[in-house]
Amino acid sequence: MVLCLLSLRFQQPSNFDTNAKIKAVFLYNFTRYFEWPDKKKTGNFIVYIVGKNDNLINELKTLASKKKVGAQDIEVKNSATFDPSISSQIIYLLPDVSSAVKDVASKNKSKGTLLVAENANACKSGSSINFLIVENKLKFEYSKNNAVKAGLKTNDDFKALAINVD
Amino acid sequence: MNNLRYIVKNLFLGLMVTWGISGFAQIDRLNRAQQLLQARTPDLAQAAIDSVIQHPETKGDFVSWTTRAYIYFEIYKRGDKTKLNSPLRDTIVSSLQVSNALKPDADYMNNNRRLLVSLSTHYYNIAKTLLQDSINDKRSAFAYNKCKELFMIAKPDTNFASRDIEYYNAVGSVFSDIFNKDNKNEKAQEVAKLAFLKVFDLQPDNTPANMNMGLMYLNQGINLAKSLDYGADLSQIDAIQENIVKLAKQSEQFIFKVYKKEPKNEKAVLALYYIYRMMNDAAKQDEFLKKCKELNIKLD
Repeated sequence: MVLCLLSLRFQQPSNFDTNAKIKAVFLYNFTRYFEWPDKKKTGNFIVYIVGKNDNLINELKTLASKKKVGAQDIEVKNSATFDPSISSQIIYLLPDVSSAVKDVASKNKSKGTLLVAENANACKSGSSINFLIVENKLKFEYSKNNAVKAGLKTNDDFKALAINVD
Repeated sequence: MNNLRYIVKNLFLGLMVTWGISGFAQIDRLNRAQQLLQARTPDLAQAAIDSVIQHPETKGDFVSWTTRAYIYFEIYKRGDKTKLNSPLRDTIVSSLQVSNALKPDADYMNNNRRLLVSLSTHYYNIAKTLLQDSINDKRSAFAYNKCKELFMIAKPDTNFASRDIEYYNAVGSVFSDIFNKDNKNEKAQEVAKLAFLKVFDLQPDNTPANMNMGLMYLNQGINLAKSLDYGADLSQIDAIQENIVKLAKQSEQFIFKVYKKEPKNEKAVLALYYIYRMMNDAAKQDEFLKKCKELNIKLD
């Protein structure tokens, strides 16, 4: 049987990182539930990522190009290790630098910085928010005490959405 | 009385002669039709052969019917080869079926078979065009089934499984491609799924079907995440995550089958890395990241 063969189209797996997108959406959501001190309500709203995650950085840059926090433009900063000279509204410590949580938390006490981490016991070490995986889904723990210590005004509605550790 | 007997006798003889002449005329007409066919003037041959197959003397002869099929085929070739519905093609097929029923000799049987295979091939090409150019699954499937039907008349012992797998994989890949580009096109997803399920009925571990089915779910999950607005509230995020994980698990079922069969299939290994990343399964994500590195697969 001489037939012209049908051509098969093979799909390519997309390299889009869904976790990076979900984390970016979470981070933006967090800005709705905290009030930063007045001195942090001017200039850009800086999200400082410590550690390596290119997909997340790119996702946050896309977010920054589309959204604002109040009237503030969002700016994304990144370094491999924690740089105390960078003043920001949010510090997100990635898993590869998770051992720095305690140190970063102590250095940012009362400075009006929301510390987010991604490591077991991060809230016990001083982080206000800690990402964790529950049944394959990204969830977060919340320590209101740590947020208050960091100089943020908190919203009780947020407690209802989180796994509370206090 | 004698006169009457004489008249009846002569009338009867006359009728016999006329009938005989008419029979000879039909045989002559069949020869003429064949000559016209050989002379590549099928339009002239058509009228002659249509008269031949109606005459009692020649309508029971397989030669008449095969000749008719070939004459109609010459006309059909000019403009009907790419038509899904062709009365000329139908006439050829019915003529060949009558010829076959009249128990032709080996030569004629082979000629009949050859013509049926040609028509079957035309249907296959139509099925292909309708699928890949017109993206019309129903008409394509109709043509494909006709292709099979004619081929089975010609060669009843044929096993069509591998051809079915190829065809349904092509249908699945065309429609999954459409769905991957537009996840709102549920009809395309449905057509693709049904096509791949037909492949699985014939060969459950078929690599292209498992791969494309798995990638369809994976890309659906990814598109769901992409469509999530940055301003979505936390309850929305939760619902979207639920669906993304569900889709990743569905995808894993199919891609893992490919990986089990072909552990060095780069696309499967890479897809599994993305799937476990999507499922937030750190251990398996690391395992497949390692495999990607072993196979020198370029990651994002």
